[in-house]
Amino acid sequence: MTFLFLLLPPLIAALLAGLVRPTRAWVARANALLSLIPLGAALVFAAQAVAGQPAATFGPGELLRADSLSALLLLCVTGVAVLALFLGPNLGPDSHYDAEQLRRYQIFVNLFIGAMLLAVSANNVGVMWVAIEATTLSSALIIPLSLNKASVEASWKYILIGSTGIALAFAGTVLAYFDFVSLVGPIANALNWPVLLGNAHALHPEVIRLAFIFLLVGYGTKAGLAPMHTWLPDAHAEAPAPLSALMSGVLLAVAIYAVLRWKAVVDALLGPAFTNNLLIGLGLLSMVIAAFSLVIQRNYKRMLAYSSIEHTGLICLGLGLGPAGIFAALLLLICHSAAKSMLFLLAGGILQRYQSTSIASVSGLLKAMPWTGGLFATALLALLGLPPFGMFVAELALLKAGFAQDAPWLMAAVLLLLSVAFVSLVRHLNQLLYGPVPAGVAVGESFSWRSALFCLNLGGLTVLGLTLPAPLMILLNQIVGIVTK
Amino acid sequence: MVDPLFAQLSTLAASLALLFGLLLLWRRNLGSYVDAFQSQSVVISLLFCVVGYFGEDPQLYGVALLFVALKVWLMPRYLRKMQQRFAVEREREPYLNVPSSLILAGVAVILAYALMRPVVALSNLPTRGGLPLALGLIFVGLLVILTRKKAFTQVIGFLILENGITVLALLGTYGIPLIVELGVFLDALMGFLVMQIFIYQLHGTFESIDVDQLNQLRH
Repeated sequence: MTFLFLLLPPLIAALLAGLVRPTRAWVARANALLSLIPLGAALVFAAQAVAGQPAATFGPGELLRADSLSALLLLCVTGVAVLALFLGPNLGPDSHYDAEQLRRYQIFVNLFIGAMLLAVSANNVGVMWVAIEATTLSSALIIPLSLNKASVEASWKYILIGSTGIALAFAGTVLAYFDFVSLVGPIANALNWPVLLGNAHALHPEVIRLAFIFLLVGYGTKAGLAPMHTWLPDAHAEAPAPLSALMSGVLLAVAIYAVLRWKAVVDALLGPAFTNNLLIGLGLLSMVIAAFSLVIQRNYKRMLAYSSIEHTGLICLGLGLGPAGIFAALLLLICHSAAKSMLFLLAGGILQRYQSTSIASVSGLLKAMPWTGGLFATALLALLGLPPFGMFVAELALLKAGFAQDAPWLMAAVLLLLSVAFVSLVRHLNQLLYGPVPAGVAVGESFSWRSALFCLNLGGLTVLGLTLPAPLMILLNQIVGIVTK
Repeated sequence: MVDPLFAQLSTLAASLALLFGLLLLWRRNLGSYVDAFQSQSVVISLLFCVVGYFGEDPQLYGVALLFVALKVWLMPRYLRKMQQRFAVEREREPYLNVPSSLILAGVAVILAYALMRPVVALSNLPTRGGLPLALGLIFVGLLVILTRKKAFTQVIGFLILENGITVLALLGTYGIPLIVELGVFLDALMGFLVMQIFIYQLHGTFESIDVDQLNQLRH
């Protein structure tokens, strides 16, 4: 039943936006309020998991299933969705989109959120694939909300590279299913994740190795792992701010979730060494490319996008460092969702005021927009892993896990890359915050409920940094138990 | 009791599908790409029926009908409409010329055989002979996407990559569970429509469907 409260509200919201003509202001407000229902449902799932109840299932053939791992991802997706819908362009003070563009945005952003929720609550890994492909399609349609060369180029790269990558992930799924069917026979629900995991030990190592490489390349493309990341900075920088927040904050996490599910199945057969080495290799490569792209960045939205690639790399690297590493990676994933979505939403406000995405043409942010500037700076410092925010604890836990795994050189490389990213981001931040306000840019900003929402988000990040709440601790430990069985 | 006819027919169909895929690397005229894709889809829908008949799975006939509606009728129709609109455009200077692309495609098919050797070795399906060909088709699709300049050609490359995966699923597992199959069809249709919209948008903003003009976004 709870699944209905999870998946129906985004559909209803999309229908409302599509059917109510002409567009009414209350639709956007109603949709924002509707987004609170899935958040409640996600909290229920998380509470059930923490209380130790067995994973809830729903539908014919147990189509949907929510264990601790799903619950965590559901919390991230619904949380960021609430932020994105309450701060969407429809509710903004002065939107520069026309009514038709806003309607299109409202329809597809809700379908996009619904697809992500389905992806992390699907039991069948085939349905999970279908839902992740649907996220590409629904989000691609609203990247070029206002048609110009840059946004059309970004959306073309996104749809072509994203769809091709995800098609390869499907080839991997088919290969794994092929192995399963040729061993166990065509039993019902063979693609259900618990069934796959339970029978994994009987599969053929050669086939599953090949399948995992396809799956990692495929879902890795969606997660923005190098060298398949080339679409990401373009798409995240050109999309409307709330969409960037959703794509950077949670879509990457959803793709990583898919990799983690398959990693668990493959590890049950081959032991963790095979997947760990692949994840560490690709993770490190992503961090290298992202760190040095950050140094030469001239556009603050692309700067945030490259920082997402860096964090995807770091999270994947963490997933390859054994149980303690997985714990740290999950914590990183939560903090990244909260911090990055907030940064993209704030960047949208800055773009609206300064009418430019170039770092060089934005200065004196603290004078022109004291609240936005202050929040942006704080969130960026939180993202960079400064105490007292959650990312600090997560990165520390990751380094500890790495040293415990006897990988001091790897950890030295990670530290070096993190400092490269740190220095260049702080340099860019300085340029944005201080200096004279350019002529023609309005000065002054009052505190609004929007800023309050961001403060709430920062508060959450601070709590994670000061003390890990006991329920979250239980949830994370349960997940580590599930995927390293 | 394995019918040798089944093995022969399935391998024949997979080889034909791969040949039609290779045609994309050979020809330069956008119209002939649509023909190649359509013929390939006809072959694959026949393969659905062959597997449905010998594998005794009547469900596959239904899936074949859907496949025909989507990939033999609807998509080529839209593609032709698009191609007439861009009638002047040809694949003049691909990133990789025709002889090199064909050699590379040959290497890709050999690679597919090498990768699939363990898979074929452990399978006792009568259809196993076609599995490396399906993977080869997937690689050829990737090659088309990577080396061709027209957005139109890239879309067809993507469609034959999808066809390759369909052949893989069909020969390896006699079709995937129906719910997943339906979802895949829905995604394929939506994906195609979205790509089509974007091609018109590309043409509208860049006045060409050459992707090497896409250089607004750097670093």
